[in-house]
Amino acid sequence: MAATKETFRCMLCGHEYQESVEKGEDKERSCPKCRSNSIRHLKKKSSTKE
Amino acid sequence: MKIRKKARYVDPDLCNACEECVKVCPVVKPDEYQMGLSSRKAIYIPFPQAVPCSYILNMDDCLGNNPIACGKCAEVCDKQAINYDDEDEIITREIGSIIVAIGLDVYDPTEMDEYGYTRFENVITSMEFERLICAGGPTAGHFVRPSDQQRPKRIGFIQCVGSRNPKIGRPYCSNICCMNTIKDTLLLADHYPDMENVVFYQDIRSFGKSFEDMFQRSREAGTRYIRGLPGDVREDPNTRNLTVTVENTTKGKLEHHELDMLVLSVGVVPPKDLAKISGMLTLSKTSDGFFMESHPKLKPVDAPTRGVYFAGFCESPKDIKDSVCQAGAASSRSGALLNAGQIQIEAITSRIDETACKKCGLCAAVCPYGAIVWKKGEAAVVIEAACAGCGACGATCLFGAITMRHFTDDQLMAQVRATLGENPQDKVFCFACNWCSYAGGDMAGISRMKYPTTNRVVRTMCSARVSEEMVLEAFRCGAPIVLVSGCHYADCHYINANRQTVKRVQNLWNKLEKAGVRPERLQLEWISAAEGQKFAKVMYQLEEMRQAVTMEEIEHARQALKPKPKKAAKKKAEAAVAS
Repeated sequence: MAATKETFRCMLCGHEYQESVEKGEDKERSCPKCRSNSIRHLKKKSSTKE
Repeated sequence: MKIRKKARYVDPDLCNACEECVKVCPVVKPDEYQMGLSSRKAIYIPFPQAVPCSYILNMDDCLGNNPIACGKCAEVCDKQAINYDDEDEIITREIGSIIVAIGLDVYDPTEMDEYGYTRFENVITSMEFERLICAGGPTAGHFVRPSDQQRPKRIGFIQCVGSRNPKIGRPYCSNICCMNTIKDTLLLADHYPDMENVVFYQDIRSFGKSFEDMFQRSREAGTRYIRGLPGDVREDPNTRNLTVTVENTTKGKLEHHELDMLVLSVGVVPPKDLAKISGMLTLSKTSDGFFMESHPKLKPVDAPTRGVYFAGFCESPKDIKDSVCQAGAASSRSGALLNAGQIQIEAITSRIDETACKKCGLCAAVCPYGAIVWKKGEAAVVIEAACAGCGACGATCLFGAITMRHFTDDQLMAQVRATLGENPQDKVFCFACNWCSYAGGDMAGISRMKYPTTNRVVRTMCSARVSEEMVLEAFRCGAPIVLVSGCHYADCHYINANRQTVKRVQNLWNKLEKAGVRPERLQLEWISAAEGQKFAKVMYQLEEMRQAVTMEEIEHARQALKPKPKKAAKKKAEAAVAS
């Protein structure tokens, strides 16, 4: 299954990092810096029509 | 339950296994049971101990029965046992309990190219070794190497091929490979005392009754154990011998070993049908891909779905003895359930108000137990005997049509408002799941751990019970920080209900940001019942965050998150369902 690089931000310490994500994966996430589970998946914004 | 009984195309009551059909069958295929080391015909007995002892016809291999292109087997069968018109049979049974014992698959080492499994004929897997050394195998138990059919004099075994290797997505120990290799070395030493055996390993895990003794016997029999996994295998094109390069980590030096044959001690992987069974019985998987039990210590043979039990490898890698123990326990548990004649269900279950239900089916989609039956255009119905009471459906329903007994929206909202009734700015508000996070708080307490006194906890059965409205209401009541906490992924007591929590918190972060409220004020943590220390640590971190939240921020959140007029909210909910 193809993996994509996605951006995550820790809502506790603010650390932002990228991780490869496979479609449909079921994985518990934690911040690589502070180990918090408050990990926000920053979705790519779709391009707006001009 | 519907069971498919596959067509055999040979009547087992008539067939007397005379073998005449095999003699005339013109199709030759690799024998799967012998790991492709010998061949079989299109009509065959799958393995020597098969019950019933009668032939089966593999229609995928047969030259064709419609129209009949060959028909030789039918011609020679005196008993007329062959029936080309045989069809799969669907058997319907009413059953009260299911024991899942679907076994395992073996790791395919082709991706680990450094060991040359696909390049060198004399590199085999431990399964192929089993067939070669077995008296019922393709060589009748005479151990020969595949390239020249000569008896090898030096054999190497590489351990942990496909096990304990996170790089290939197999971080777990396969449990059986160490003892299997030790057994193999003892067999070789017994059959061929002059043979040199070398085992390359990272750890020998010989726990279990008499296992350490067996390991010592293997060493005494002359097997050399070298700590270190080979990095390279090369073949001499003339002799077809193999040179293995390994760092001996005990001696701290690089070694080269010339061997006649190499056996890859392959690990085990979850069976390929596991996902299919998982879908049928609403079972969940661990991160390793095996079935997850209801509780690792207290219910090790129970599935989270009631009435379903596990036996053997499908739950986790284990040896024969443990599999037999688990099978015994599973059948006892199953027997106890069936003999009871009646079942007790939890008092905490969902109830759907048919008049309020908008027939959207969202509740059925999030139920981890498949306990909600929904058909398009009809109101959803809860099967109470299957409902475990996580409350994910109640938190998902946008129309307030679902009531969770003992954890109703009104009860939880009242707790939120009461907790934050006075001086909310001084409190860290927490939702904690009953089984893990709340118990983690208890653990912190009974362990006499210090943590700030500002936290206030509202208990729900599962973190998935916490609806968006409850979190927003906490902010409206003036909470500076809100924590939603639940079980770790592998520990979720409601199969995978806490995945709904993650989705909901992600949505809430977006909503808060849109409303101009700092999303960091909402936190999510997985805290297990044993993690009292983590509970205390999180409370310190949140207290620090709370102190940084200003009164202006709290007031802004109160205003910005005010509920919208009812009609607009209803319209929005309906639009969400439609999308």
